[in-house]
Amino acid sequence: MMKPFVLVEGGLKKYRGLCSTCDNSITCTFPRDPNLPVMECEEFQGETISPEVTMSIVEKHEDEQGKLISILEDMQTRYGYLPESALKVVAEGTGQSLVDVYGVATFYKAFSLKPRGKHLISACLGTACHVRNAPRVVEEFERQLRLKPGEMTPDKQFTLETVNCLGACALGPIVVVDGHYFSQVDTPQVKRIIQRAKSGLDKTDVKADEKIFPVKVRCPHCNRSLMDSSHPLDGNPSIRVTASFGTAHGALWLSSLYGSYTVESEDEIPRDTVLNFFCPHCHAELLGAANCVECGAPMIPMIVKEGGMVKICSRQGCKGHLLDLEGVNW
Amino acid sequence: MEKLKTLSDFKELKERLDAGREPDRPTIIIPAGTCGQASGANDLIRAAKREIIARELSEKVRLVITGCHGFCQMEPSVLVEPARTFYPRVDTKGMARIVEAVAQGKVVEELLFLDPATGKRIEKQDDMPFFKKQARTILARSERVDPIRLYHYFESGGYSSLVKVLEKGNRAWVIEEIKASGLRGRGGAGFPTGLKWELLAKQTNGKGKFLVCNADEGDPGAYMDRSVLEGNPHSIIEGMIIGAYGTGATEGVVYVRTEYPLAIKHLRIALRQAREFGLLGENILGSGFSFDIQLVKGAGAFVCGEETALMRSVEGKMGEPRQRPPFPTERGIQGKPTAINNVETWANVPIIFTEGAKAFAKVGTKGNSGTKIFSLVGKVQNTGLVEVPMGITIGEIVQEIGAGPSGKAPIKAVQTGGPSGGCIPAAKFSLPIDYESLTQAGSIMGSGGMIVMDERTCMVDVAKYFTNFLKDESCGKCFTCRKGTQRMWEILDDISRGKGTLAHLDLLQELGEVVKDTTMCQLGQTAPNPVLSTLKYFRDEYLEHIQKKRCPAGVCKDLILYSISQKCTGCLACIKSCPSEAITGKAKEVHVIDAKKCIKCGACLAVCKYDAVVVT
Repeated sequence: MMKPFVLVEGGLKKYRGLCSTCDNSITCTFPRDPNLPVMECEEFQGETISPEVTMSIVEKHEDEQGKLISILEDMQTRYGYLPESALKVVAEGTGQSLVDVYGVATFYKAFSLKPRGKHLISACLGTACHVRNAPRVVEEFERQLRLKPGEMTPDKQFTLETVNCLGACALGPIVVVDGHYFSQVDTPQVKRIIQRAKSGLDKTDVKADEKIFPVKVRCPHCNRSLMDSSHPLDGNPSIRVTASFGTAHGALWLSSLYGSYTVESEDEIPRDTVLNFFCPHCHAELLGAANCVECGAPMIPMIVKEGGMVKICSRQGCKGHLLDLEGVNW
Repeated sequence: MEKLKTLSDFKELKERLDAGREPDRPTIIIPAGTCGQASGANDLIRAAKREIIARELSEKVRLVITGCHGFCQMEPSVLVEPARTFYPRVDTKGMARIVEAVAQGKVVEELLFLDPATGKRIEKQDDMPFFKKQARTILARSERVDPIRLYHYFESGGYSSLVKVLEKGNRAWVIEEIKASGLRGRGGAGFPTGLKWELLAKQTNGKGKFLVCNADEGDPGAYMDRSVLEGNPHSIIEGMIIGAYGTGATEGVVYVRTEYPLAIKHLRIALRQAREFGLLGENILGSGFSFDIQLVKGAGAFVCGEETALMRSVEGKMGEPRQRPPFPTERGIQGKPTAINNVETWANVPIIFTEGAKAFAKVGTKGNSGTKIFSLVGKVQNTGLVEVPMGITIGEIVQEIGAGPSGKAPIKAVQTGGPSGGCIPAAKFSLPIDYESLTQAGSIMGSGGMIVMDERTCMVDVAKYFTNFLKDESCGKCFTCRKGTQRMWEILDDISRGKGTLAHLDLLQELGEVVKDTTMCQLGQTAPNPVLSTLKYFRDEYLEHIQKKRCPAGVCKDLILYSISQKCTGCLACIKSCPSEAITGKAKEVHVIDAKKCIKCGACLAVCKYDAVVVT
């Protein structure tokens, strides 16, 4: 789930941009410098490894079937790899011997006992990719990055891994960088892929990208417009709603660009908070859409003037949003 | 959300949905499975939405996002219903034109599929050579369903099979139907599904029984399970509920490999929906029968596709196989009786109950009923997922559906069954596809990978590739598998470097037979297949490597040299493509490759239009 940056500007807490390095991370720290591109957040350096955090992961999976693998998976997401000290805590917490825990951690390919770089490059070496020259592509990555599969560059920027099959065999050779798929990769492309990863694959230019476009929305109860032209965001009128959590209750502005995640609010909203949304005109609660497919929190419905619905996740920082032209929940 | 408490609740909802259906309303369908998204389907979806909103067309045109349809090579593609117009490789500009045309009931002629064989454009999907010969039942269902919308599945007849089964209320009948359908395990071994269920149903265990969906699709080159899970997760859930009803299983597990993030996401959503609607959990649709399914993620181990290893992995342990018997149906997960079926097997279950066992058994051949999905990939013109009736020949798939070789080199062989399978030479392409014929030819059906190889594929290299894969994936429990695959790989590596001897071939044969005979699980027992089958059919290639120290396909790096012939026109294309700056030359002069700098990546060969790059 994505965590926003907080900038304090003129008394308003601004949530601008989203960190793309730690897509899977439960906690994202804030960027060193708010002016830097989003990829520069500190999260990829790995979280401080603490016995408390590790224990909390162990406890989360208390009653599960085959919990050890889930625990290690969560831990890897959190720390980027499986640190020895954390494995010891897991052994203690689950009552299994360290040998058993270590056995599982080394048996499965998805686990890494070594820290991994900011960008993870996974090159597919499935059969279909193999016959289409994937080994040469891997060699080219090795040559460009000066490392072997499984290793990290000294500047901690890249880790190269090979995987057995990513299941997109008709488009091979496949390379996945930070969750982005590249298909039919050949050796001359390798350099460009590395460069694109460096400059950030998730970065979008909100103004120039034609896939990001404005939508105008209305309250599903009173049908009045929620657009606020006195408070523009991303150069367009924003969507104004009232948001509440705990005792706080204040205005919240969302970018009306479908594809932008810019949010501003009167109150500082702690990350992961599930908010209640209300119409600023009729004060009715905006409710009734299905749950977010990303995180399971309720989705907030708003009517699109031209037909259909926009649904946004009510959890602060969650990237789940949907422009649903049919307006059906299930 | 409305929890369905009784069978009539379901029927009422279904009637309501059917009444609201507008089958004639133009619908734009964009497949966005992993392969679609890798080729840019997400951009198309946005472009389509933008266009529909800007032109205020949401009343006129319906937009449906689905999983993969199968013709992955042509993605991002668009299918327009009800006309069934197919648009291949659409870009965002083309998308805008398609939206406009659909709203006016027109077709964008220039964006239609161009058949390279005839040079003519084909409008309808079903007229395209790739789709014509297929018998799409499972894949056709994925064409209509948005995987994150339960209502779409309902509308396309989903969960009606379950309702039929619950209405009948006869558990033994469920197993009889599956037996009558002749359905065999689609994971590769072809064990009769009905028999497996019967064995599980007979077990009396007060502590409960498990049903497992094996979605640890480890076979590199096969991806039909991913496609079905991503595109139609409810069909698996429905199949499993029916299975649980028939066998008396109480707990379900779907074991998915972690390399499939989208499949995991869609399955998670589907499970949540099924629980919220009362299709999973206590007292399903008021039948008094309870069953729930949990999702367990794998962590990257090929051997976990083997059923006893899978069970240990579900228990959170190292995925090492164990001796059978006792079979899982006697002692499975946590010691409870367990039946494990593959994704595609489960996807067939609702179809059997919709169509009836007899109708299902009519497709295919006797003893091999129904359809099978293959992933037709490698050096073939049309790549993607193909669903064909059992008994079709390999040649029909490769030459007609696949439309022959992708490059200039003719097709030499197909590899089926993944690392456990073997290579079947072109001379045997008239072989019908069923479990027995493939086994007789030295390969196996496997989960359905079909990798096409042409004259530019080196069979020694293929054997080395699979053996390398297997030596890494061997769990290490049996000595002969652990060391045998390692030693076989070393020998193959020597041969590919020109250090092989004739004695090596006999040793490979002997080693292969020993590994086959003396290992415990299927991984080891089938591990020598790639080596033994290539030795049987492509011995001359091995001899070429050993005696003449050359690789006829031009693949084994230590035995080849790249050079440029006098055909070179000096177009500079290869110079630009070379990642190691090994090629020099001026415009309109013959270029030269520096053998010391050349990394033999083949980039120049791929870009040269004049056949001037020579591999010797």
